[in-house]
Amino acid sequence: MAARIRLPLLLPRSFPPLRSLKHVHTEAAVKEPQYPPIVASLTAKSKSARVRQNEERIKIISSSPVEEKLSLITRIQRMKFVVYPQTFSRNPDRWYQHFTKSAYIPGLPEKFNPAPEGSQSATDQPAVPEIDDAAFNEIRDLVTRVILYEHWHKTRKRQPFLYKHQEQVVGPFLKTLVSELTYNLAKYNPLLRLSSLDLSPQVNFYWRRGKRIIPKGHRRGRQEPIRFQIDDQPHSQIRIPQQLPQFAPLEASYTAEVPEIHLAPNVMPLFRRQYDNNIFTGAKLPDPACYGHTQFHLVPDRYHRDRLARQQHSDQVEPFLRANAAASLFAWTGAQAMYQGFWDYQDVSRPFVSQAVITDGHFFSFFCYQLNTLALSVETDANNPRKNLLWGTESLRLYEGVQDGAVVGLDDGVLRLLVQFLMNRPHS
Amino acid sequence: MMSVTKMVYPLYQLGNPQLRIFRPNWFLTLVRPGKEQPPDTVQFRIPMDMTKYDVKNYLEKIYNVPVGVIRTRIQFGSNKKRNHLNQKVKKPDYKVAYVQLAQSQTFTFPDIFPEKDRTPKEGSMEEMQEKFMEDEKQRQKPDPRRGGVTEWFGL
Repeated sequence: MAARIRLPLLLPRSFPPLRSLKHVHTEAAVKEPQYPPIVASLTAKSKSARVRQNEERIKIISSSPVEEKLSLITRIQRMKFVVYPQTFSRNPDRWYQHFTKSAYIPGLPEKFNPAPEGSQSATDQPAVPEIDDAAFNEIRDLVTRVILYEHWHKTRKRQPFLYKHQEQVVGPFLKTLVSELTYNLAKYNPLLRLSSLDLSPQVNFYWRRGKRIIPKGHRRGRQEPIRFQIDDQPHSQIRIPQQLPQFAPLEASYTAEVPEIHLAPNVMPLFRRQYDNNIFTGAKLPDPACYGHTQFHLVPDRYHRDRLARQQHSDQVEPFLRANAAASLFAWTGAQAMYQGFWDYQDVSRPFVSQAVITDGHFFSFFCYQLNTLALSVETDANNPRKNLLWGTESLRLYEGVQDGAVVGLDDGVLRLLVQFLMNRPHS
Repeated sequence: MMSVTKMVYPLYQLGNPQLRIFRPNWFLTLVRPGKEQPPDTVQFRIPMDMTKYDVKNYLEKIYNVPVGVIRTRIQFGSNKKRNHLNQKVKKPDYKVAYVQLAQSQTFTFPDIFPEKDRTPKEGSMEEMQEKFMEDEKQRQKPDPRRGGVTEWFGL
């Protein structure tokens, strides 16, 4: 029997604790891990290393202050699609809605709709809440004066040459109208007193959406995100220090429909260029008026409805306006959100809201945009039910014409909408 | 297609009578797009002399097709290939027009070569021949019970 047991030559005084039954039910001491966690390498030539590099980059960007964040996101220059808000392509509204993940809702949100006719007679109810009839008449007189003033100037000056009519005639009219209205409504809307009116500001935005496989070159076969850049120059815009209230709750956008297009954007046609990636709201980062209120856009002569009617493309007028609104407002609200520190991987916690008015002198179209999500790239969009919302009207005529020194056919409804847009402010 | 002498159109000046072509010597070829195009886009190969306005008038006046916007490009035919005498062989250049239809019309290129049902009819020679070929192939296959191992060795 003794020969069967193999014992060491030197028997230890006490056997190791694991072999004795005395210490079985005690807990082992909790030890700090002596080695760092096992993660994928950072410098290897492998897919997991690439994934880890991206994750590190995302962590660095998420934890840096806003200015550094913007410069880190827009640092690398690569070929990107330049999205022009005012474009000659056919049916651009579907494409732009797909690029910006916006759903179009015809009509304006409930706060701009007129009161139901059955409740009270139209004459009793004031045209706009907080503005009584006398003030509204004042505003109407002001608008007629501006129209007559510009009309007199227009007939006095030489007729502008080819394709300069909008820029030389309607531009100054809109500028006077906007500045006069803003000044006059400042006594009813205290927010306008703190606002900033920019003339021909620059609005830029850079984002990535979708992926494509590179067909040729030394990076052939690899996946690449599709990059977009909007460089917009609205006619004028109003920026405010406080944010406008949302038009609809975030959850309401879950059911909205965004048109899906599975073709490459260059078929639209859309062209690629490589230059500085800019994100700009119209003012630099430290400006206190960092939230947007309303933008005013001019319809250029090349896309004027008369010219499109001559070429039998009248059905393209509304899609053009919708595409313009979607692109410009998405760029503006996106830039505002990025100025607050939100980006692709840190989605917006509250909706950003802005308004726009697009006009060609006679016809006015009103648009409202709510940015619910900035997470548009493939990884972040996978389980993102939020969509951005665009409300808009058809083109409404402000006035028929000017005869014998008097404005004919001034539409009160359009004027009321304009005033309501400018009076929009956060409840407090 | 065109004769050796080049067609010279008279230079247009304001006030000239409009140029009218009654029997154009141009022929368009509808082609299947190589890259995926939107549903309202039709792709043509057109003669090099045609312009966008020529294509638009051609399609609208002769075929009553409502045309929205046309974009053209010239495809360079390669001059790289060489024949058995080591001379460079040029593939001809051609112009491509992408026509977007108006009035929200769509067009899909039809399937010109549909898959034919290749089963031969009953009792014909082809059917007997096919069956014979199938039997021959079956006989040539190795024994499936050997699991892919060759039959060169074994008991």
